[in-house]
Amino acid sequence: MNTIELMEPETKVTKPKEVIQLPLGLLGFERVKKYVLLAKPGEEPFLWFQMIEDAKRSFLVIPPHHVLSNYQPDISEQDVEFLDLINPVEALVLNIVTLRGAMKGTVNLRGPIVINRRTLIGKQVIPSNAAEYAIQHPLPVS
Amino acid sequence: MLILARKPGESIVIDGRITVRILRLDGDVVKVGIEAPTSIPVHRQEVYDEIQKANLEALSPSGVELPRLTASSSPPPASIARIKKK
Repeated sequence: MNTIELMEPETKVTKPKEVIQLPLGLLGFERVKKYVLLAKPGEEPFLWFQMIEDAKRSFLVIPPHHVLSNYQPDISEQDVEFLDLINPVEALVLNIVTLRGAMKGTVNLRGPIVINRRTLIGKQVIPSNAAEYAIQHPLPVS
Repeated sequence: MLILARKPGESIVIDGRITVRILRLDGDVVKVGIEAPTSIPVHRQEVYDEIQKANLEALSPSGVELPRLTASSSPPPASIARIKKK
């Protein structure tokens, strides 16, 4: 199990574990600040956002274009500054998936995790246009 | 907590740059107008609460087969986040 190469837009399982720092944690998990992003074979496009301090605790995440092709969260100036984003391409956007029974799930499009690929600093942000997106957006299942 | 009594039309200024104005009372609803620099995010408390609830609900799914997604026809965009360039 490896961390994905964060510079690649497509999932590519190459790099050894890279620590992603969330200085503010996730909402409800403010004390947990270090994560790794893992891709498991056969689970694409899903990834695991795993707590370093407790490998049993992780979140299933997904790059949002697999869920909504025109998803465009507006990152507030304050968050752009916090994440030191110079170019939007630097921002790796991941959304947390909640599984709801067999083969079903929803995706939180209202509170994406944004990670600066260059610094590996991330934050769960509330985009300025959060109201346009659902907190329980259904996964497009076949 | 600082508690201030305000009438409709009156306001509160925070940090010299954020103005919170009570616009009107409508039954048990208070309409509040907020003027703040665009760099200051303003959200309803519920947005934070529902994201926190969603996070707690999403933690460590186990023993469930991952759903198979319908293949997305569009190629991945170069960037998803929209930011204002300085």
